[in-house]
Amino acid sequence: MADLFPPLATAQVDAKTKVDEKVDYSNLPCPVPYDEVHREAYMSLKAENFEGFRFDFSKGLNQKFSLSHSVMMGPTEVPSQSPDTTIKIPVAHYEFGANYFDPKLMLVGRVMTDGRLNARLKADLSDKLILKANAQLTGEPHMSHSVFNFDYMGKDYRAQLQLGNNALVGATYIQSVTPRLSLGGEVFWAGVPRKSGLGYAARYETDQMVASAQVASTGNVVMNYVQKISEKVSLATDFVYNYFSRDVVASVGYDYILRQSRIRGKVDSNGVTSALLEERLSMGLNFLLSAEIDHKKKDYKFGFGLTVG
Amino acid sequence: MAAKPSLKIKGKGKGTKASSSSSSSKYELVKEWTNWSLKKAKVATQYGFIPLIIVVGMNSDPKPHLFQLLSPV
Repeated sequence: MADLFPPLATAQVDAKTKVDEKVDYSNLPCPVPYDEVHREAYMSLKAENFEGFRFDFSKGLNQKFSLSHSVMMGPTEVPSQSPDTTIKIPVAHYEFGANYFDPKLMLVGRVMTDGRLNARLKADLSDKLILKANAQLTGEPHMSHSVFNFDYMGKDYRAQLQLGNNALVGATYIQSVTPRLSLGGEVFWAGVPRKSGLGYAARYETDQMVASAQVASTGNVVMNYVQKISEKVSLATDFVYNYFSRDVVASVGYDYILRQSRIRGKVDSNGVTSALLEERLSMGLNFLLSAEIDHKKKDYKFGFGLTVG
Repeated sequence: MAAKPSLKIKGKGKGTKASSSSSSSKYELVKEWTNWSLKKAKVATQYGFIPLIIVVGMNSDPKPHLFQLLSPV
């Protein structure tokens, strides 16, 4: 408690060092990619809640190559006509996956029993240029989509070109303006619903907090703030507003990273409370518990699972 | 190929349609070829992506055995 009133002498020394730390504008750090502007906030607020039973088994064959087997059983939501009722159909599937991780090439593929393939590729074409591709392919016609991203990493900026099927073209650019502030913009054009959009994002971060905001011409305004309380705890809050449809959602979330477990949860202004617990039972064995309670729609989702390897 | 039969169904209108599209037939051909190749690429990726990862992985260092690929342990 003696820290509350530090002696005046140290206060002067602190102010002096802050003034000496002049910002070197030619040496700014590289900003986070435009898609990850809200990364820290979404770690607590968009945790992967699931419903039903989940079992993931991951087997490594060598340092770079591993296979994964995954079984999921549970009710899956089906889109229904009226927004008040949710229709759920119990479904069980098995998913086989193969991963290859190399410093220069990353390949991840997951295929389900009904033939759906989820493929991801990340290749370092050169020191600064990265190609990323993401595809969800199904047997049904017109239901597959794929996206190719070309990322260029400059000294203190990043630029990305995105090409997708159904004539989707997008570009994003983000630049570090000060050591803590980065600003970015994006523009995209979608061929199938013929519309184009423009967006801006800003991100301010320090060691203890991250604040970010994003505005898009689709009407979405997203603002979030994450504060790291200690090594183990961080709290996040999020505000999403759509100025065309006048939808507002505010949420508050937490993320506790403890020695043997990690628990993340959030409370929403839509009346949704959710939490996800990942507990490490022993080396390589993780136990998952997920709960999502939607009081407004009366939709209760609980799930448990085990991850091996 | 699935795209081609659709032109034959348009019975009587086919004559007039052929004359109007002859000036843009190159563009139509290019579009048709790219659609055909994208469809084939999609089928090839759907069947071949996971085998490709397995082949690339089995040839990486240190080389794993085939037995390790198939056994559940």
